[in-house]
Amino acid sequence: MQHSRDVLALLKRHREPLLVLLLLAYPLVQLLGAGARARAPNLVDRILLAATAPLQRGLVTVIDAAAGAWERYVALRRVERENRTLRAEVQSLRTEVGGMQEARLENERLRRLLNYPEVESGQRVVARVVGISPDANRLTVRIDRGEADGVRRNMPVVTPDGVVGQVLRATGSAADVLLLVDPNSRLGVRVQRTRARAGAAGTGDDRLLRLDYLLRAEDLEEGDAVVTSGTDGVYPPGLMVGRATRVQRQGSGMFLGAMLLPAVDFSRLEEVLVLSPPGTSPGLLPRAAPVPARVEGPR
Amino acid sequence: MRVLFAVGLALLLLSVESVVVKYLGLTLARIDVTVAIVAFLSLRSGLLEGAAGAFAVGYLLDLMSGRPTGLYTFLAVLTFLLGRIARSLVEVRGALGFAVFALAADAVHGLLALAVTWLTSKTWGMGALSPAGLPLEVLLTGAAALCLYPVLQRFGPVAERAEPGLIELHR
Repeated sequence: MQHSRDVLALLKRHREPLLVLLLLAYPLVQLLGAGARARAPNLVDRILLAATAPLQRGLVTVIDAAAGAWERYVALRRVERENRTLRAEVQSLRTEVGGMQEARLENERLRRLLNYPEVESGQRVVARVVGISPDANRLTVRIDRGEADGVRRNMPVVTPDGVVGQVLRATGSAADVLLLVDPNSRLGVRVQRTRARAGAAGTGDDRLLRLDYLLRAEDLEEGDAVVTSGTDGVYPPGLMVGRATRVQRQGSGMFLGAMLLPAVDFSRLEEVLVLSPPGTSPGLLPRAAPVPARVEGPR
Repeated sequence: MRVLFAVGLALLLLSVESVVVKYLGLTLARIDVTVAIVAFLSLRSGLLEGAAGAFAVGYLLDLMSGRPTGLYTFLAVLTFLLGRIARSLVEVRGALGFAVFALAADAVHGLLALAVTWLTSKTWGMGALSPAGLPLEVLLTGAAALCLYPVLQRFGPVAERAEPGLIELHR
């Protein structure tokens, strides 16, 4: 009895340092337990994110409005000079239009021939990038669409140029997108020309991806387009990922080493498209232009 | 009260920073506004109050980073405690003194972040973590602390110490 009273007195006397120790230990235990895996958003997270999302949206609107006003002012000053130049250009372009018309008709004919789908089904949500992670080592962006708009975790995010990443976390009116270039990003890819399957991984550098698990015997050249394979269960097949660079064929080993230049400029992300989960088609825009596939036997 | 102020300010600054960074296209470094606030807490708050404030500010940074793992919550409390130790050794006076203190705190925070991430992940050496942006980040944080000084002063002078310290930073 006396012993427990002593312990209580001791705890009471050192209450402050013990509480501080608890504040230090709790996140450490969480960090050691979870590693690089992020926790799912709890109620507090949701409330805080809901509080910041309108502020971020408002700031983006104000900055855009100011930039737009400035651009319009500058544009007005250029208008007269440009007008003269444009009149001259119109004359030359009119002659080119005739030739273009012919090319368009030819394009339509070829598309019909390839039976290329013009309209594809599947939910798509257009979202605006409103923020970037305050940590330079975590390559995520925040978009202004969330669960209320049908955005869910793991949904693929694209732009007309190619794959951006996947939804990491969605709350009511906002969502965080893990960029393809984040070191935790992995996806299944295919070399468009040869149809060889491989993996791509983020490097932490927003201008570089790593190409993994491409057999050394495979044909890969600098500049080869690499598209999603659809085998990772997140990204639909055929979306542009990037182009091969720094191809290294080692003397030994099973795989060749190569990097990818991402198709998307991650430093200039403005609007993105959140696609439906795999199983539904992603649409025409971000899909890489089809090239005749070379059949190389079963893979 | 000071904790609520710190949390509110951190929430506001992190939201603004995430938008500003987007427009400035800062890819290499960020401004560690939260470290400046933690530095303020370590200079001005009591042990429990400051630790709770640092915990909350770190939690926010973790949350806003997109992948909350607890790393920044832990580091914020640790930086606060180290700041308390530093406070007993140096005297910090004026905006410039506070900026230098925040700058040093950010350098320690950044190095600890790299070290802890290295210890807890397997991504070291693959470009996942790079100390390359740290000097710029530290300088930007120092500049941010200088700008924040008048706001923080509204909640009391940043430091008041009767006895002289080992290093004196004058205005």
